[in-house]
Amino acid sequence: MILKDLKQYSKYFTEYTELRVQENRNIRITMVNGDIMSNSRTAVGGISARVYKDGFWGFASNPELDEETIKQVIESATKNAIFLSSKEKRKKTELPNRIANSENDFTTTKPKKSQKEMIEFMQKIDEYIKEKFTKLTSRTVVVACLDMEKSLLTSDGSTSYSMIPRTISYVTMTVEKDGQPYELYEVYGGFGQFEDNFEDPKELFPKLDEQYEHLIKKSEGVYAETGVHDCILDADLAGILAHEAIGHTTEADIVKGGSVAGDFLNQKVASEMVTLVDFANHYDGKLCPVPLFIDDEGTKGEDAVIIENGVLKKYMNNKEYADHFNMELTGNARAYGFYDEPLVRMRNTAILPGKSKLEDMIASIENGYYLMKSSNGQADSTSEFMFGIVQGYEIKNGKLGKAIKDTTINGVAFDVLKTVTMVSDDMVWGCGGMCGKKQLIPVGMGGPAVKCKINIGGK
Amino acid sequence: MENILKYAQESLLKAGAEKVQCSLQENEKDELNVAAGEVKLFRTTFDNNLTLTGILKNKKGSTTINSLDKKSIDVAVKQVIELAESSQPDKANDISEKQPVKEFSSGPENPDLDKMYFRMTEFVEYTKETYPDTILEEVIFDFTKRSSCFINSNGVDFTSKNNLYTFVAMFTTKKGKKTSSFNYAVSLTKDLDKPFKDLASFDRLMKQSSEQTETHPIPEKFVGNVIVTPDCMDDIIGSITGYLYDYPLITKTSVYKDKLDEVIADSRLTLHSKPLSEELVSNYFVTSDGYETQNSTIIDKGVLKTFLLGLYGSKKTGLPKAVNQGGCYIIEPGDVSYDEIIKSTEKGILLCRFSGGNPSDNGDFSGVAKNSYYIENGEIKYPISETMVSGNLVEMLKNITQISSERVNSGYHLYPWIKFDGLTVSGKGEDAGLKTSLSVSPV
Repeated sequence: MILKDLKQYSKYFTEYTELRVQENRNIRITMVNGDIMSNSRTAVGGISARVYKDGFWGFASNPELDEETIKQVIESATKNAIFLSSKEKRKKTELPNRIANSENDFTTTKPKKSQKEMIEFMQKIDEYIKEKFTKLTSRTVVVACLDMEKSLLTSDGSTSYSMIPRTISYVTMTVEKDGQPYELYEVYGGFGQFEDNFEDPKELFPKLDEQYEHLIKKSEGVYAETGVHDCILDADLAGILAHEAIGHTTEADIVKGGSVAGDFLNQKVASEMVTLVDFANHYDGKLCPVPLFIDDEGTKGEDAVIIENGVLKKYMNNKEYADHFNMELTGNARAYGFYDEPLVRMRNTAILPGKSKLEDMIASIENGYYLMKSSNGQADSTSEFMFGIVQGYEIKNGKLGKAIKDTTINGVAFDVLKTVTMVSDDMVWGCGGMCGKKQLIPVGMGGPAVKCKINIGGK
Repeated sequence: MENILKYAQESLLKAGAEKVQCSLQENEKDELNVAAGEVKLFRTTFDNNLTLTGILKNKKGSTTINSLDKKSIDVAVKQVIELAESSQPDKANDISEKQPVKEFSSGPENPDLDKMYFRMTEFVEYTKETYPDTILEEVIFDFTKRSSCFINSNGVDFTSKNNLYTFVAMFTTKKGKKTSSFNYAVSLTKDLDKPFKDLASFDRLMKQSSEQTETHPIPEKFVGNVIVTPDCMDDIIGSITGYLYDYPLITKTSVYKDKLDEVIADSRLTLHSKPLSEELVSNYFVTSDGYETQNSTIIDKGVLKTFLLGLYGSKKTGLPKAVNQGGCYIIEPGDVSYDEIIKSTEKGILLCRFSGGNPSDNGDFSGVAKNSYYIENGEIKYPISETMVSGNLVEMLKNITQISSERVNSGYHLYPWIKFDGLTVSGKGEDAGLKTSLSVSPV
């Protein structure tokens, strides 16, 4: 447990100040063809202070947590802000706030598993794959756990303590066909500690069967045909579309940096079927994959409705950008490590479900693709996006056809979203990736299946 | 640092570890940030990383902490033993053998903060004056002091200091409602003698950015020439060298698994990994598994000369261990000028940034050509929009037709322009139902 109550250090504050104690704890075990390739634990923690003065920020951090070091860190951050403000005069503004105080500890209530028990769990998964799927040329099972524990005190009165865990298992299978290797990975787990996500290895077996079946079909599959096609983006891809293509362009710092979304506020940017929200902590009464109750500037987390029925309504912001754009605070300021300053980051970004059934959506396409899984994605200030596709199928005359080999899709998000004609009535959350933007950070992404027109790389 | 490591090593040996390696890294960073064209933030951060690894009965465990007090180290030592005991035996788990004790040093001792501020504001002012429509979305300029110690129970004892400045600028141009794709450049330096506009590719890329608000689709799909710029080269080289590391060779998924000492590229291509090069500043002296680094040639006139296997990967595969862990890449220059390469191109694109999916195990790749240009009849015609490039990395290396004599040094790599043939370049199909007015950058 980290240092929880920071109030005693407010005596060292002389300007607007955020004081944060944080520890990130990682477990990583990698099993390759039954051998343990890595078996490690990491605990990295410390204190940071960020100070605002006359339009400039100063930041300092240190891994030590004694009173003298904490005092020095606050003084150093203050000195840095003063250094910049002494070089250039800017208009003095007072930062807006939405003061909040809360504690959210999601440490498991179940008996803790040892590393040995985690390895035994992985061995059972590995043995199942080895014995059942004999055609595989290699198999990899990874368990990666991240506990982020934070305490925060701000000079305007917010306090918070949180312990937000995430546990993921990645399973990668490779098969050879005609001398060529084909690979497919799947992510299991999500919010919570190991004990909350992985109780009995048998629960994963049906999912592993599905993964293998998709891999075999992929190895026997065809190259996608280059060009624009009617496509169904399954939940995984709708989530990454929401995050990469729209989410990043509507982060207030990116908007101020020139993003095309700066010209579109209150304009129609998508089909009326599209509503896109960055959820703070709950969706439909349930916790999101990366719940945030108070952000790292001490702002109470609120849902940010970015696109409502096709109209761009809001940017995600922090205190400074909420002031700049004259918008309500959304609580999107997040930092990854104790040594990081908060940036405008997404939390749980999703397109909301519609009314269609997936089978009707597939049946409505004469010649197109059903795209299911992505390897990676990138966005641009123009809202042009690119996703690597690692799992998908042709659609011929309203029915699923052959699997496709790895490919890439791209498009301009604000154009592609205007081509949306059907949205499925279900909703799936994913929580496997880390979003990169100066710092890495865990994010949640979700969505229904979406029918739209999209450009495929093919061959 | 030395005392902390020795205490940790002795504690691990006493607790039952048969082989031990311990490393400690201390980082001190001063960093200035620009956001949306304004100097905004000044950071001073300290951090440590103490990594302890123990092997007993061929079973390995590893722990990293950043609290260096005795109590924290004692807890970490206990944890390493528990992790190792919970693991399973693997004869490939090992530590580096004894080598002479050495100290290494690179870069200035301390930052010049006032000069850092001067160079930063000078760059901001230059951008505003020269490219008034270009927004510096973000500039991150830091000086990092990195001190490292590495010891192991075979008697290895290395100490190194690597201090350097890193300048990263990311920018977008906005003219009215027309927006360019973002682009970025990076420069690593040991001194602040020159303005950053004169280093790496900053000025060239900002100039390009200022003309990339007006883009057009390529006239037709074609299979032909793609000239990869030095700024984009790392995507290609990173993907190629990615096939040479432990994981793809252990799992036998690497396209190059049987290709050591065989031709894998056109004979014009020679690729070095030179962590000790004086031409580059991002030097490193010790590998993460405890070996003094050496420079190496990865591809020599088209022939693959080494994998990038570490100690574990080498023991696991029976293939030779590399003398470094990659990075610090240098490609030998060619014998034609950049201008001649453009002039000799009948139809192709100049690929300045690539946004692509991870390549398949077999080397197939596809992705979007960003900030790039269409070339026809030996002339650069216009910046392009929504254009995809696809091909196969293995084939691509064999289809090099020209390498430029000019190179760009970013401080962490030194690359020329390279022309590849046989890549598929495709735009957005006009017959597929989408509006065709997307001839310029989307707004």
